[in-house]
Amino acid sequence: MKINAFSKTYEGRKVLDMPEMELTSGKIYAVIGANGSGKSTLAKCLAGILTTDQKQQILSPDISVGYMPQKSYAFRMNVEKNIFLGSKDLIRAKKLMKDLQIEHLAKKSAAKLSGGETARMALGRVLMKTFDLLILDEPTAAMDMETTSLTENLLMEYCRETGCVLLLVTHSLQQARRVADEVFFYYKGKLVESGKKEHVLYSPEMEETQKFLKFYGE
Amino acid sequence: MQSALAKAVALILSADAELCNILSVTAKMSISSSLIALILGVPIGIWLGSSRFRGQSILLIINRTLMGMPPVVCGLIFYMLFSGVGPFGKWKWLFSVRIMILAQVVLILPIVVGNMETYVTGIAQTVKETAKGLGLSGWKTFFLLMNECVYQICSTYLLAFARSIAEVGAVSMVGGAIAWKTNVMTTAIMQYTNRGNFSLGIALGLILMTISLVVNILISVMQRRINR
Repeated sequence: MKINAFSKTYEGRKVLDMPEMELTSGKIYAVIGANGSGKSTLAKCLAGILTTDQKQQILSPDISVGYMPQKSYAFRMNVEKNIFLGSKDLIRAKKLMKDLQIEHLAKKSAAKLSGGETARMALGRVLMKTFDLLILDEPTAAMDMETTSLTENLLMEYCRETGCVLLLVTHSLQQARRVADEVFFYYKGKLVESGKKEHVLYSPEMEETQKFLKFYGE
Repeated sequence: MQSALAKAVALILSADAELCNILSVTAKMSISSSLIALILGVPIGIWLGSSRFRGQSILLIINRTLMGMPPVVCGLIFYMLFSGVGPFGKWKWLFSVRIMILAQVVLILPIVVGNMETYVTGIAQTVKETAKGLGLSGWKTFFLLMNECVYQICSTYLLAFARSIAEVGAVSMVGGAIAWKTNVMTTAIMQYTNRGNFSLGIALGLILMTISLVVNILISVMQRRINR
């Protein structure tokens, strides 16, 4: 899957500069970087929510893109109906709700869920469909360790089964180490370093990456 | 005062013919105008709250200005437009319920638009991003947004109805407060008070306050549901 080079400028300031890149089906790519490094902007540009400076297609039009925003939204209906917004596949819905441990909440109003439950429901909703590229913006930020772990396993299984490219925006280096095949490190809107996680997370070449890893103490 | 109050209660209980006529004209005017304003205003409010385009802020300023338009100014404009010498004088709408409804729609519409726009602005971006992320169509996204606004729409309707039923300036100017024809509760209260007929005025006042109480309870219930 080819991503064309693009950039994004806000009020005269370039906040993201993305080079052309190739992504491989079935792989998980973790996008890491400090706050304001352009991770979420990258996710929104790829999802087609933000227009790029080039105002042209970044991805081939036949590529289906799924996206889960940082702030999970619960539509004013019950959990089951929220899940069915993704697709009407009953068997898949039941499996996902079971895997995400929200089966018992199926008939509950989504507005009454906790933050972690809402995030699990939103994830289940987007995983109901099969996308060529799935972008998740900090999907486990509101989850505890146990649900984070089961979510990570579910994501790895989803990629393996569907062959989808997963772009995982995360603040957690540990999460990137656990689930990613490759890592993109962003610094001030620029892709500073990318490659296999063994390389970027354990023996980075660039000074910014080294400082970032040292600062986070992981 | 006590005897006037007793007479007022008696008028209500005996379903006085004039009182019933005033209530019927009031209901016709208030329900029609608030419904028309709702049908027109909700899509406009959703559109203004969920889109970003050049000139949007100007439209919002105009709408906010119209929200505070004094009813007598609205009445004056319609009076001039529909009086014998006005451009629409030949339609002979002046002093009819029709022109009262029209004037009310103009007064209420900005309130409906403003109320919906404020609410939709708060949720539109997240709803649109979520829907886009799920690969949903534009129509499906619009219906989802409408579904998110259900309680807000109900609450806005009640607000519009309350404004319409309590309005006096514009309706008295364009309706003329003609007995058995265009006299509504508010104009009748003024009329009967001026004539010293306090009992009918109090009876109408009691009904108006009861309606206002019920409407406000309903608005409060709706607001609680919205915030949940």
